[in-house]
Amino acid sequence: MNAVPKPRVIVIGSGLGGFLSAAKLVQSGYEVEVFERLPIIGGRFTNTKYRGFSLSTGALHMIPHGPAGPLAQMLKSLGVDVNIVRSDPMALIRLPAKKGDTDYTNGYKDILFRDFSKPLSATNKLKITVLTIVTKIFPPKKGSLEEWFTRYIKDEWLVKLADSFCGWSLSLKGADIYTKEAFMIFSNLYRYSGPGIPIGGCKAIIDALADIITLNGGIIHTGEDVSGILVKDGRAVGVTVNGSKYTCDIVISNIGHIETNRLCMNIKTSGEYLQYLEQLKKIKPSAGVKICLAADEPLIGHGGVLLTPYAKRINGINEVTNIDPNLAPPGKHLAVSHQCVQWNKLNELEHEIDLGLQDIEDIFAGKKYEILLIQSHSGEWPVNRSASGFDVNVKNATPVKNLFIVGDGAKGEGGIEVEGIALGVANTMKMIL
Amino acid sequence: MDCVGCGQCVIVCETDAIKVKGRAVITGDCIECGVCARYCPVKAIEVSV
Repeated sequence: MNAVPKPRVIVIGSGLGGFLSAAKLVQSGYEVEVFERLPIIGGRFTNTKYRGFSLSTGALHMIPHGPAGPLAQMLKSLGVDVNIVRSDPMALIRLPAKKGDTDYTNGYKDILFRDFSKPLSATNKLKITVLTIVTKIFPPKKGSLEEWFTRYIKDEWLVKLADSFCGWSLSLKGADIYTKEAFMIFSNLYRYSGPGIPIGGCKAIIDALADIITLNGGIIHTGEDVSGILVKDGRAVGVTVNGSKYTCDIVISNIGHIETNRLCMNIKTSGEYLQYLEQLKKIKPSAGVKICLAADEPLIGHGGVLLTPYAKRINGINEVTNIDPNLAPPGKHLAVSHQCVQWNKLNELEHEIDLGLQDIEDIFAGKKYEILLIQSHSGEWPVNRSASGFDVNVKNATPVKNLFIVGDGAKGEGGIEVEGIALGVANTMKMIL
Repeated sequence: MDCVGCGQCVIVCETDAIKVKGRAVITGDCIECGVCARYCPVKAIEVSV
């Protein structure tokens, strides 16, 4: 009896989307080979040690919906043994100490995220209660989140809070996120609740996925750059790496639609393909800055997010060592801020960082800390390769048969950061399996 | 490609020869070992070794 050969899959990129796909397929009986250009696995979702601190290469060490969200569910289904500890409180909001102050220079007070409506007038509190119920039945479909708030509530506080929340979770301003997407995210917050910290940071998840891939016969190459995707009769049939051809039945790319398309060879121009190229022109990667802080004492004192809507640039801060002390040297704490950088500010990045550093001084006035590292992300190494899943009408499939896109360039709808990556991988697996 | 300032080169540099603030700057302490170039995700560093 002849053995049926296993379908062969090549995965380009060892980031979270690539590894989730590889692990799922290798467990489903596919022959899987992953090619990673860098010497390390994980892309922007792993840790690198710097002066004893486990700094992430891109993502924050935080899973937006903790142990109940789409990523955690997918990891569980794959048998990944990683402990994701729920942040409690999930988030605090830092307000100026005195009503009427526009920054934190005269002190601050923190309120729970669920009490976000406290600063609103009685009328606007009533409006938000009614709108919360109405939008569950009739979710808004058009315009940006900022436009929606401005149209229905007209309160500067909500615009500030939207900027802080969207800046932290998506590296976008409230004016740059579609209201439909924002409400899907709010709905998921109710459904899955708030964030959690993976013990061991992002690297614990990546290493566990790498183990699943290799223990099931998959191969992971590092330092191997895919220079082309072979296309024959409209179908992906392999890749080229260092001049050698590797044939396969399916190619999954974790490097976004634009880069993947650039690698494709011999695509015959068709109406569908031309439409696809038009969509690619609309894709905009999101940009942001992370400032990593080291301290002897806790700076925020909990494992949730500290949203800072009254800061000039910083959208929020977390301090993961309150949940996993091993992400810093003994007795030390690691806090990381994030600030969205708008596209029109990318040419003034150093000034944007200076404003972020001023914010840190205001937010932690009187506290001792050290700036460990300032990490910025944009362009080819962005916060997200596609700022929003609603920007373009391309998802995980491409006009090339058996060529799929996963990762932050093709997130599932309504998923914050890595949750969106997990949803995108789930969509892709539905098409393949 | 242009440096994006991700800091990966700073982390892997064994001689602490790189500073970053929006963009990496290689200082005179560089020994041209080439490790930073291998780790740079946007291929912004070229080292002649």
